[in-house]
Amino acid sequence: MTTRGVALALDGITHRFGHTVAVDGVSLRVEPGEIVALLGPSGCGKTTLLRIVAGLLRQSGGHVAVGGGIVDALPPNERGAGIVFQNYALFPHMTVEANVGYGLRARGTPRKDIAETVRRMLALVRMDGFARRLPRQLSGGQQQRVALARTLAVSPRVLLLDEPFGALDKNLRLDMQIEVKRLQRELDITTIMVTHDQEEALSLADRVAVMSHGRVEQFARPDEIYDRPASLFVATFVGTASLLRGTLAEGVTLECAAGRLPLGSVGAPSARAVVLAVRPEHLRFVDPASAGLDAKIELVLPLGPLVVYDVVLSDGTTLKVTTSRGAGVTPHAPGDAVRVALVPGAPASVFAE
Amino acid sequence: MTPGAREWQLVLPLALFFAVFVFAPLALLGVVSFYDDAAITTPGVAQYVKFLTDRFNMAVLGQTLWLGLLATAGALVIGYPLAYIYMVAPVGVQRVLMLVIVLPLLTSAVVRTFAWVVILGRQGIVNSVLAAIGLIDAPVRLLYTPSAVVVALAQIQLPLMVLPVITALGNIDPNLRHASHALGAGRWRTFIEVTLPLSAPGLLAGCLLVYAGSVSAFVTQTLVGGGQLMLMPQYMYQQAIQANNYPFAAAVAMILLAAVLAIVIVVNIVSRRAETLVHG
Repeated sequence: MTTRGVALALDGITHRFGHTVAVDGVSLRVEPGEIVALLGPSGCGKTTLLRIVAGLLRQSGGHVAVGGGIVDALPPNERGAGIVFQNYALFPHMTVEANVGYGLRARGTPRKDIAETVRRMLALVRMDGFARRLPRQLSGGQQQRVALARTLAVSPRVLLLDEPFGALDKNLRLDMQIEVKRLQRELDITTIMVTHDQEEALSLADRVAVMSHGRVEQFARPDEIYDRPASLFVATFVGTASLLRGTLAEGVTLECAAGRLPLGSVGAPSARAVVLAVRPEHLRFVDPASAGLDAKIELVLPLGPLVVYDVVLSDGTTLKVTTSRGAGVTPHAPGDAVRVALVPGAPASVFAE
Repeated sequence: MTPGAREWQLVLPLALFFAVFVFAPLALLGVVSFYDDAAITTPGVAQYVKFLTDRFNMAVLGQTLWLGLLATAGALVIGYPLAYIYMVAPVGVQRVLMLVIVLPLLTSAVVRTFAWVVILGRQGIVNSVLAAIGLIDAPVRLLYTPSAVVVALAQIQLPLMVLPVITALGNIDPNLRHASHALGAGRWRTFIEVTLPLSAPGLLAGCLLVYAGSVSAFVTQTLVGGGQLMLMPQYMYQQAIQANNYPFAAAVAMILLAAVLAIVIVVNIVSRRAETLVHG
């Protein structure tokens, strides 16, 4: 079975609960067959946005378009949105079979077709043989498979996943992530997933929308989000970043209390007071003759192939520096005096204060 | 002595209370019922034989159980929607509703019964209103009818139906309703297929409470039924106090107890099955 993916467009979606603005003018264009993650801390409006797309919540303003048609007035099933809830919301008093067939029964599909579709769906999520079980007799991962099958059984045009892996333990999580990605590719179904887990978002999604306070801070490919965060919030929320406050000199050097740090090329702000957000792997130790910041090693954390150093600058600012632990290289020891500089060509993210 | 060995002593006061005031009288009642004569001298099963072989007696039992069933059905028909309305109402309305639901529990059953006497009497509210709008010329007999007893019992026992149903409805994950809607089911189908079965444990508990309360509601049965209607509690009273036949009255009591217990056990088995289905 192939559900050709359809495009999904959110146009200026705003939602208020009383006086609080939960979603504030969000516009996103999701390509057909794309998997997009809404990533953000709890309370950033991502789940509200998902519920609006699902049709469970009517937005205060803006439009949702599925496959080019505006669906604002349509109930969930008519807009072709299928949602899988965080706790799966399987009907506890129904067998797996009855759960998966529920949507089809609600649509008045003939019995024979229901049985056939249910069988096909259970095979798709590799749950054949569990048809007669009750949800409570299944493990978390199995319940999630059934929840996916139940949602996919009604052939939604858009698949919505609310914190899909939040309730699973770590080992199972990876299995299910692979499983969901496989299904999503196989069915070529446009998917939106809500998560607060950045690794999950970055590894599964084609594009990630980082949200904060009801707004989309950045909507881009995972590597862009990571390498070129559009805001200080994105830089600190996604991945690890050390922050350095200072002023920009000649556009290419950061002057801060602890010294001068050459940045290579910096595009954006012309403001003088800035914050540099830098990834640990984009910093390195250089010999004392080169330009850079003087620092002292505070902590050494060998993490398999990597070594993470916590270094402190002369003004007390701490930075994280990661280096690979090559053969024959003796790592620095706590207390060592070092000089820190950017890895050549590393992206430098500078934001106006 | 370990703390564990001491703790069980905490149940002693309650156990003692039950032993003296519930089990002992019940045992005494049981013993008395097994005497053949009113003077309580010859042991035997004559009273049971008398009850179970007499058509009139069996009719009284049947009528009592039937009345309980009708009152339970009445409380269910009014109570379930009320509980449902409570669950979907905004918090402010919920507070008011809860007060209204619980209020009857704060007044005695006797007071509530007299209220029904006032409402249904010949010069009662219902008759006055019907006469005033010209629908009737002479007062209709409402009081002292079986229907009056059923209506009064249903209302008086209503909180015992509503409260367990509210609890059961509150235990249902709202996402189940959302999931049902998202899969294309309308409100009605969602209610029938999801909400109703998942609230079954509370519904059965409510039915049980109302039923047990209704079949033994001596005051309401007698005052609203007005003695026209022979029901088990009144029959017992009559046999014990008026006819002075304690063994027969005791046998009537034991038979009613057995009948209600049988129903309770059956419903309990059903509700336990429903419970495991719902909560695992």
